[in-house]
Amino acid sequence: MRVTQHTNFDTIRDSIHRSKSRMEGLQQQSATLRKLNTPSDDPIGAAKVLEIRTDKVNNDQFQMNTRMAETFLENTDHIIGELADIVVRAKEIALGQASGASSNEGTRLGVAEEVTQLFQQAVATANRRIGDRYLLGGFKTQRPPVDPEGRYTGDDGQTMVEIAKDVFISSNVPGVEVFNTHPKSSNDGRSVYSPNTLGRGPASEGAMDGELAYENVNVFDEIQNLRIALLTGDLDGVRNTLDRFDQVHSKLVACRAKVGSRLQGLQSTSQALERHNVTNAQLGSVLEDADMAQVVSDLTKEETVFKSALASSQRLIQPTLLDFLK
Amino acid sequence: MGLPNVFNTGRTGMIASKAAIATTGHNIANTNTEGFSRQRVLTSAETPRNSAGMQSLIGNGTAISRVERINDEYVEKQVRNGARDLSHMEEKDLVLRQTEDVFNEMNGDGLNRLISRFFNEFRKLSNEPDNEAVRQSVRESSQAMVNDFHRIRREVEAVREHIDARLEGYSKEINSLAEQVKDLNMQIKTAELAGGSPNDLLDKRDQAMKKLGSYMEMSVHKDGGGSFVVDVKGVGPLVVGPMAEKFSVFRSKADDQGKPEAAFDVQSTSHANSLVTHQIKGGKLGALLEVRDKTLSTILDRLDELAYNISDSVNSIHQQGFTRHGVQGVEFFGHMGGKERASEFIQLSDAVRDSVNNIAAAAQPDSPGDNRIAIAISGLQSEKFMNEGKATMDDFYNSIVSDVGVAASKNRSGMNQQKDIMTQLNKIRDQISGVSIDEETANLMQFQHMFDASAKVIQVADEMLKTVLDMRR
Repeated sequence: MRVTQHTNFDTIRDSIHRSKSRMEGLQQQSATLRKLNTPSDDPIGAAKVLEIRTDKVNNDQFQMNTRMAETFLENTDHIIGELADIVVRAKEIALGQASGASSNEGTRLGVAEEVTQLFQQAVATANRRIGDRYLLGGFKTQRPPVDPEGRYTGDDGQTMVEIAKDVFISSNVPGVEVFNTHPKSSNDGRSVYSPNTLGRGPASEGAMDGELAYENVNVFDEIQNLRIALLTGDLDGVRNTLDRFDQVHSKLVACRAKVGSRLQGLQSTSQALERHNVTNAQLGSVLEDADMAQVVSDLTKEETVFKSALASSQRLIQPTLLDFLK
Repeated sequence: MGLPNVFNTGRTGMIASKAAIATTGHNIANTNTEGFSRQRVLTSAETPRNSAGMQSLIGNGTAISRVERINDEYVEKQVRNGARDLSHMEEKDLVLRQTEDVFNEMNGDGLNRLISRFFNEFRKLSNEPDNEAVRQSVRESSQAMVNDFHRIRREVEAVREHIDARLEGYSKEINSLAEQVKDLNMQIKTAELAGGSPNDLLDKRDQAMKKLGSYMEMSVHKDGGGSFVVDVKGVGPLVVGPMAEKFSVFRSKADDQGKPEAAFDVQSTSHANSLVTHQIKGGKLGALLEVRDKTLSTILDRLDELAYNISDSVNSIHQQGFTRHGVQGVEFFGHMGGKERASEFIQLSDAVRDSVNNIAAAAQPDSPGDNRIAIAISGLQSEKFMNEGKATMDDFYNSIVSDVGVAASKNRSGMNQQKDIMTQLNKIRDQISGVSIDEETANLMQFQHMFDASAKVIQVADEMLKTVLDMRR
């Protein structure tokens, strides 16, 4: 085979270029700590990495959603708890005044004042908000859900939030569900105690007996009932409220249980998200990150190759026949 | 046979060795000339003159029959075709690399991230549909996504313009090279008619032909007179005898084969209807046209489809919702007639640009806490309505990125292979036609000895003549 100077130099140039470009690639990997620097480095991996990143961004948002929902639900839980306390206190009062033996007009008028306070406290509690958002108003979050008379002005909207892909949880409890024991049987539970029954007191009770199971009891109405019964000295009316306060109380407890189970659900979903993030991070790392041990050892190897290419070139280039013809 | 003849024999040897030394010098001088083929002097023994009825024929020395170049036409052709394929891939690599850069999300923000951010802002809004600050950030992230659609569109257009600029330059180079080949054809013909072998012109023509051949697929053959006849495949003749055809480019309307609006069409004087844009295959021109009319056009079509689908699907949900003012039917993105150039025209609607309160999150009026529309919009992210219900918008965009990557990496590995092939072909060509300094040095010595010896012959003849002349004294 004829080997010319050109062939020699081409071979030298070629081996230097090759070695240099491999070193350049390794250098880039070690500088960025990544092996995936352009989509063409690994097109399929690149698409997968983008998918993982989307997943990560979404999961972060889901976790944010979870935290927001947690705040809302915990506050809702506090509100319901306080309402339950108010109901308990009202029942205590009713119990104290239920028999003619332990109460007289003086004590009744005295505690009636406290019941008025309880009523206002209940309204204030129900109207509590976080930031500028009323928690119990359903979708009507920008105005107090309960007016000063204890009437519900919100709706039954459930604010669903996505806490994991396609998993939705309601981050609020509409007041209509909280304040009423049987919200469906009455239009958003308003005023069992209507002005028509106001004067009749116990007389109306007989008419309602038959449908007691479906009777709706409303927190505010009931406190109001107690107050009016106390003011009018209607001991039957006071006794009547006892059972209803129990119903309201157990409804409130049931609501808290519901909120509690939602909170638990949030936590387990959030943990699942964390695990998902970890798995994704591992996969992403496999696809994207350079194996530093590999890179460094390859780089060292390449350096040796490069040096030996240079050394052999030096030998190859120098002598020509001319050097020996003197 | 007379003694003076011996003088002459020595003289022919000296002339021949001088010619050989000159040719060796020429070779050495052109060691690094691209496309040069080493030359050598062919000599033949001078036939003895059959005079005076002599029985034994004594030779008359040597004669230079010609100077030939050492060159294998078949290898030249392989080198030419190999160089064409390599140029094709190198050219493609250059523009695909630029395209890849447009979509490179590996090291930072890109449309993929902005699209997920867009949908996540709606998730944020679903948490707090009544929060003005969140609405602001929904609008801001939507604007960022829209801007990135515009950016990608613009940058891909810039790659196209770059391609067009190269097309224009190349068409001029093709014309000048075709002109060169034609001129060399004629010079070679003239020289050969005069009986010479114009080796250096032949090398030059091979070299020009190699360059010309790198622009597109063409076939070359020699006509009876030894001139190159160049045919561009699918187009027609480029160089025939004393004629060279011309290529040119001009801006024209979009066509149905992917050529974008106002991009260059290629025309040739050698083709009947002169438009040859889609006939050109291979080489640098083929690479540029392929990337411009196929790869980039497909990318932009898909980008348009994505932009249109996002805008259309978000709008159709958004219009069912109620704004903070209780108005139904407001668009989120500005209305677009169709997919055509959607990535360029996508824009927030005037209403949303005017006020964030025009973003509809609620499915019923007067319900600031209602987030059902926001949820429905964020749900679009995982809905498969691209590719006839087979892909989500994320998948669809990711597949654009990965397709660009596949195109670039496929081409690059082909290019590296072709480089190896070219290295091999160049070695083979060099083995045949390349100049080896060692060899030339050895030749130099050989011819120098020959020169010395021929001179010695004359010296001996001279001494002999002197002896003869001295005899009479």
